[in-house]
Amino acid sequence: MSDSEHPDLAAQEQMDEEPELDRGVVEAWAARMISNPDRAYKSAFYVATIFFLVTTLFPFYWLLMVALTPSNDLNQVGVLTPGGFNPGVFVDVFLEYGVPFQRFLFNSFLIAVVSTVLVLFVASLAGYVFGRLQFRGKNVMLLAVLVVSFFPPAAFFVPLNRLFNTNFDVLRPLMADGSLYNTPYAIIIPVSALYLPLSIFILMTFYSQIPDGLEDAARVEGTTRVGALFRVIAPLSAPGVATAGVLTFITVYNEYFFSSLMTSGAAEDWGPMLEGILAFRGQYEVLFNVMGAASIIAVLPVAILVIVAQDKIVSGLTQGGLKE
Amino acid sequence: MASVTLENVTKAYGNEIAVEDMNLEIRDGEFLTLVGPSGCGKSTTMETIAGLTQPTEGSVYIGGRDVTDLPPKDRGVAMVFQNIALFPHMDVYDNISFGLRLRKYDQDEIEERVEQAAEVVQLEGMMDRMPAEMSGGQRQRVAIARAIVREPDVFLMDEPLANLDAELRIHMRTQLQRLHRELDTTIIYVTHDQAQAMTMSDRIAVIDNGHLQQVDPPLTCYNEPDKLFVASFIGSPAMNFFEGEAVESGFDSEFIDISFDPAANDITPGQNLTLGVRPEDVYLARDREEANEPTRTIGATVDVLEPMGDEVFAYLLLDEDVEANVEGRGEGQLLLNLDPQTDIHEGEDIEVVFDQQNIHLFDTDRGQAITHKIA
Repeated sequence: MSDSEHPDLAAQEQMDEEPELDRGVVEAWAARMISNPDRAYKSAFYVATIFFLVTTLFPFYWLLMVALTPSNDLNQVGVLTPGGFNPGVFVDVFLEYGVPFQRFLFNSFLIAVVSTVLVLFVASLAGYVFGRLQFRGKNVMLLAVLVVSFFPPAAFFVPLNRLFNTNFDVLRPLMADGSLYNTPYAIIIPVSALYLPLSIFILMTFYSQIPDGLEDAARVEGTTRVGALFRVIAPLSAPGVATAGVLTFITVYNEYFFSSLMTSGAAEDWGPMLEGILAFRGQYEVLFNVMGAASIIAVLPVAILVIVAQDKIVSGLTQGGLKE
Repeated sequence: MASVTLENVTKAYGNEIAVEDMNLEIRDGEFLTLVGPSGCGKSTTMETIAGLTQPTEGSVYIGGRDVTDLPPKDRGVAMVFQNIALFPHMDVYDNISFGLRLRKYDQDEIEERVEQAAEVVQLEGMMDRMPAEMSGGQRQRVAIARAIVREPDVFLMDEPLANLDAELRIHMRTQLQRLHRELDTTIIYVTHDQAQAMTMSDRIAVIDNGHLQQVDPPLTCYNEPDKLFVASFIGSPAMNFFEGEAVESGFDSEFIDISFDPAANDITPGQNLTLGVRPEDVYLARDREEANEPTRTIGATVDVLEPMGDEVFAYLLLDEDVEANVEGRGEGQLLLNLDPQTDIHEGEDIEVVFDQQNIHLFDTDRGQAITHKIA
């Protein structure tokens, strides 16, 4: 809505110009907002944006500040200024203190990658079935998937923990003691299952929009239904696949609940990245600056991934619902 | 190169029966067109041949091999789709070579075959374009190249020209006929456009409501339609129909009577008849010598004239009380085509005759043709 289009504008401008009204600063400001709502919308937008940026970015800035401060000067950290300048801490994270932080990072990264691939594969099959086929009981099953996604992860923890601590003879050739505890599988399996419903819903929406003719063409040309899914339907749904993939990767990479409880927390027992950050807590001192540096390093893979995939994610998140 | 046989094929979607008990034999190397109004089951028939849908009952044979339970990829068929269905994320070369790559042909052979196919449809030099960068006609040619490159036994074409503009459609029509002659492969073609069916096919199969009505060469369907439906569907503009009854003296209806000997035409008096006559078999009474065997004259008033350039369509009302039917030609209206030089005006009262040699009589109740020429 532009100024000239506002119907009451002329009348209200006249009101503004009445000098004899005895208004305070706030009252006058409010009156201007009422006479010109566009200003109100604009200022509301800036207020919301600044609020959002400050709440998300300021902690990150503070983290950087703490990380750069040498550990002896941590009490010198001001509101906006670091207590010193020690960029070497980003290297020390890996070399000093005896914490294999790179291994913790690798653990989380690998678990996230494997889970993402697994989730995308299974969700593709499910998304194809729910999005492109008609069958009895489809809505009931979809509802079941939705309901499962609402369960709190903690509800599954105790039975799963018992299960993964049980020794199975069949697993003995693969796992040293035949149990899944302290292996990446103990994290990948429950976490993939928990984050599967979201990906199913995203991919279902996308796959349902690919014209039948393309699938038919692929099948006549020589693929099976599954072949058509991975050669034609999924590539054409790239924004949806990217969105589902990135969301899954981020959630699993940041996951702490299962990752810490299904392992001993040691790096060689597939402890996650967060355990690595917390490992810089000694018995007598807490190395806040090192933890800060470790946190920033841990954020980098996700930040890079989001920047690389952001076009696809944005179109993926908005397209899904609109393109009916 | 293969024949295609449908044996008692029925396809039902829930309670909806799309195709019922269809028996159809398509000969090796034949160009057969499935034609019918939309929703008549012709596309379902084609999908059944392609293997994209499973028939509820019955069997499909291609080249004598029972393929009913085989997936589409193992049937030796290629298909061109109505919406063209090129893979939008692949360039022309990848689109055409898709099937060959899946079948693990070696690189040199793929390249050679793609080149040949592109030559047939005149697509040389466009190999690295994306489908989105091409015109409708070019995309259609890519789709055809994708189909021919695998040298399939049978080509299936599902309304391939429907999305093209009129001029291109006529051009592609002749291209397809030439293609059929060059490849000498069985082609099964689906369309609702009877002009395409008439011009390209060796035989046409007219389908209505899931039932096969007639399978014959185009001109046979035009001149000797087996069924009332075929008579009304084939031919543009459509045949004139009059519903009436057989009487001792011949045919009697509200608007016209034609006299003949019922016994000579295997008609029993009292039978419900529909009389059909094509617009070109109606003559002005003053030109009656042009008809092989004119009937007696029928009075009419000229309602509307439609000059088409090479001919004029004259819509006549057979009775003053008849209201022109807005939803197409109704009872009491008659269409004939005339030479553009004819001296005729709207509102004029005229007399016409039918050519008795070209009058079609149908049993109204069964929809079956009785005779195509009154004895």
